[in-house]
Amino acid sequence: MMVSSSAYLILSATIFTIGVLGFLVRRNVLVMFMSIELMLNAVNLAFVALSRQLGSLDGQVVVFLVMTVAAAEAAVGLAIIICLFRNKKSVNVDDFNLMKW
Amino acid sequence: MTYQLLLPQIFLFLWAILIFIIDFVRKEKKHNLAYVALLGIVITTVLVLTSQKGELFGGMFQADSFSAYFNLIFLLTGFLTIASSVEFTQRLPSNKGEYFGLILLSMVGMMFLASAGDLLTLYVSLELTTIPLFVLASYRKDEFKSTEAGLKYLILGGISSALLLFGISLIYGLTGTTFLTEVRTTLIVRFLSTGNVGPALVLGFIFMIAGFGFKLALVPFHMWVPDVYEGAPTPITAFLSVASKATGIAAFLRVFFHAFLIFQVDWVMLMAVLAALAMIIGNIIALLQTNIKRMLAYSSIAQIGYILLGVVAASSRGVSSVAFYTFVYLFANMGAFITAIAFSHKTGSDEIKDYAGLSRRSPALAAMMAVFMLSLVGIPPLAGFMGKYYLFSAAIEQRYIWLVVIAILTSVISLYYYLNVVRQMYFQTSTEESPILMGAALKTALLICVIGVLLLGIYPNIFLNFANQAAMVFHY
Amino acid sequence: MDFPILTLMIFIPFLGMILILLLKREQESAARFLAALFSFIPLVLSFILLARYDGSTSGLQFVEKYEWIPSLGITYFLGADGLSVPMLFLTALLCFVSVIYSFGDIKERVRQYFAFLLLLEVGMMGVFAALDFFLFYIFWEIVLVPMYFLIGIWGHGRKEYSAIKFFLYTLFGSLFMLVGILALYFTVEPHTLNMMVLIEKAPELARGFQLLAFVAFYIAFAVKVPIFPFHTWLPDAHVDAPTAVSVILAGILLKMGTYGFLRISYPMFPEGAIYFALPIGILALINIVYGALVCMAQKDLKKMIAYSSVSHMGYCMLGMAAITVTGISGCVFQMVSHGLITGALFLLVGVLYERAHTREISAFGGLWIKVPVYSGIMMLFCLGSLGLPGLSGFVSEFMVFVGAFPVFNVIVPLAVIGVVLTAAYFLRMIQAMFLGTFNTKWEGLTEISGREIFTVIPLAILMVGIGVYPSPLTNMIKATIENIVHLVTG
Repeated sequence: MMVSSSAYLILSATIFTIGVLGFLVRRNVLVMFMSIELMLNAVNLAFVALSRQLGSLDGQVVVFLVMTVAAAEAAVGLAIIICLFRNKKSVNVDDFNLMKW
Repeated sequence: MTYQLLLPQIFLFLWAILIFIIDFVRKEKKHNLAYVALLGIVITTVLVLTSQKGELFGGMFQADSFSAYFNLIFLLTGFLTIASSVEFTQRLPSNKGEYFGLILLSMVGMMFLASAGDLLTLYVSLELTTIPLFVLASYRKDEFKSTEAGLKYLILGGISSALLLFGISLIYGLTGTTFLTEVRTTLIVRFLSTGNVGPALVLGFIFMIAGFGFKLALVPFHMWVPDVYEGAPTPITAFLSVASKATGIAAFLRVFFHAFLIFQVDWVMLMAVLAALAMIIGNIIALLQTNIKRMLAYSSIAQIGYILLGVVAASSRGVSSVAFYTFVYLFANMGAFITAIAFSHKTGSDEIKDYAGLSRRSPALAAMMAVFMLSLVGIPPLAGFMGKYYLFSAAIEQRYIWLVVIAILTSVISLYYYLNVVRQMYFQTSTEESPILMGAALKTALLICVIGVLLLGIYPNIFLNFANQAAMVFHY
Repeated sequence: MDFPILTLMIFIPFLGMILILLLKREQESAARFLAALFSFIPLVLSFILLARYDGSTSGLQFVEKYEWIPSLGITYFLGADGLSVPMLFLTALLCFVSVIYSFGDIKERVRQYFAFLLLLEVGMMGVFAALDFFLFYIFWEIVLVPMYFLIGIWGHGRKEYSAIKFFLYTLFGSLFMLVGILALYFTVEPHTLNMMVLIEKAPELARGFQLLAFVAFYIAFAVKVPIFPFHTWLPDAHVDAPTAVSVILAGILLKMGTYGFLRISYPMFPEGAIYFALPIGILALINIVYGALVCMAQKDLKKMIAYSSVSHMGYCMLGMAAITVTGISGCVFQMVSHGLITGALFLLVGVLYERAHTREISAFGGLWIKVPVYSGIMMLFCLGSLGLPGLSGFVSEFMVFVGAFPVFNVIVPLAVIGVVLTAAYFLRMIQAMFLGTFNTKWEGLTEISGREIFTVIPLAILMVGIGVYPSPLTNMIKATIENIVHLVTG
């Protein structure tokens, strides 16, 4: 059975929205960070679906690169969060307000 | 072999690796790696100036006068940043050497980005630019403020790339390609056959503008700027405020002027509104700041508004004025930050009120700071005026008089807070009499900035010609 | 003309500034000497300028023109005509006088002070000599920076407030001029910033554009003049500035505004000049009468003289608004005469303040007995300011009224009220300070010194000279003004 690519795109948009909402609503840095990863993966899904629909491989190449970059970003991000945790013993953004936003 | 076009980038990348290796091998005096890094930048500059023009990988990589112009901006900013970091790294407890390698890596990303002819290249080089910057912003990992700055930068950097990617995916879905030239032709063909390009394109524009908006610190996306600027080590703040912004500008121009210029009705008005917001909000909030780094942060938000005047003009004169102003902004802003670096090394303070009596303590430093401040306001015959004149002229040529009037009124507002620093330095007295001492590297960096501000204000012909050439890359 | 006299007049003070900044902090007398020398050379040059100027034509003389920034159409273009020559002379004279006067009352940060003063001279000279719009604007703005520092560092009272207020007001005004310049640049084909070419092309400009541009430039110049309601920076800046700076403010800076009107607004936007003649006339009347009324209420001598400037610049604007040869000649006369008289009055107020440390009019009385020379000179200039026949103030006011009456036959009679009020407040001041019973509190007051007399004597000679025998000045400006009137009214 074929699922039309618009279904994938709608799913991708939904995941992206969930990511944005999670980022805005949650106060835990790790969860916020995961929300960003969610958004990136939503984009990946869109790229794969579009790549299949358009019959071009470019989209799949993008996905590989995005995944790599996201991994790098996660590594750096987690390192910074560890530093912060050492300084403050907390991962709640409300505690990270030495400077006003 | 055409891979020669990549030579500056490859060389700088290898040089960064070399620095990591030396850092690993050597045991002490690692802050002297700064001079190694400076040497690398000088050589890369020579390579950029002598390199040929052309394209690689079917147009993914464009080496043209536009990329050369922005590469010079990145290299010069990197040079000034590293020169002003010598004393900062000396005081670091550990990891003194990697610092310079990370800056060079970030610069490699910027240089690739200026040459991006493809949305994918653009995205990857943007990430290569920002990931080292996350590390650098939180470099003083024992200090809460610095790590907090790094985290905030990281999170908002992540959000912005997610938004940008979503925008890219929409464009890809519409056109089936990520090559900017192909995007352009496909869109034109579709437009000619169907009469419109549909809401998806506009949505793509909005997502991409939001993505770039974070990088550029455009007004609704500017919340991270003051905190990151205040918390990050000052040399990195300087680097962020100039190089990272120039990166955003280069990327924005590449994408929107290469691929979407013909659909300018769909996004120019949005940019005009964002420019007005940036100028108004940036300047008004800057009035309230007491910390010099925060003040400069809001001022840089406002300055982006002025730069957007040239983008809004969407003409060859507009792009040329944007490119020219970026150089102007480089000198004045770097100069102001370097003064702040020198001052805080000595006094440990970033508060504007502590600048009181600086004209007695260090007349030369105070005079240079006054020149930078007046240049940022746009008082002739300094570079800032020349730059604003050019930007205003581009906007007026396209009949954006209302925008220029806003720019003018906000410039008057900005006079107040820039002069507040001058007022402290010249009109107030302090009990402290000791002069602000600076190392040779810091002095050189300051001198370069002052000469730049004066040269671009009085005899800008060389830079103007170069900016004009850079602007000729796009088809208007 | 091979000898670049205008360039030298502009940049010799700049050279002096550089040399002074190279001195050491302690070398105060060297700084004074250099400042005097480098403001004296332009004065000598301005005499040469006066001598060699040919008043029989309205054409430009002493022209210097070079390419500067070709890609933006900017040239280095200097020249002088009947309008700029008297102003250049006045600038050179008042700057020299101010430098000499400052020997006495500036004791702190001497080096910086004279450096800023010379930079100020660079800007003012440049404004009166530049004929390229970009160059003109640069000089126009350069003036603001040293002024800000001079008021803020060496001023009195609320000096920081006054300094920033001055800067904000004038920057606000001049940025409107910038928009005007750019709009003009793109409207005229081929694009140019050359003022002379723009004046030639003026008839090609659309009427609506002329009106708008006139308003933009009006704001810039009106702030400088200052015209009601943009005048509030003036009393603050004048009162808080050090004496020599007040002299330059009143003597030259205000004239930059009226000069701008005559050089740019009127010939370039004749439709605007004609359309707005009545409003400008009415505002001039407000300046005259309002300024004089406020003067009546002043207790502070310096503030009174500051407001008298508002009133006197009103005459200038009235003569200009009439757009007749006599009216505009009166305006130019008033520019020169007000520069001389008010400059001298500020100097004399400074002389008194230095000795008495108060400027309260009512604190004095019967000074005539104690310091006759000072009182005599002061009274002479007061009489000049209130328009006594035989002194320059009378000539200019008379010309303004004669020139403006045929056009504004209601406004002019009302403006004469201003003359009566001026006489009233000056005579009241003279009576309170110099006549009447001697206030014994001032037993220790010393007479005006030789150096101070030296600074006001040239001003007095010129005031009397122009008052008695105005024709050299008239001959110098006549051809240029006829040309302006011809350009406006066609």
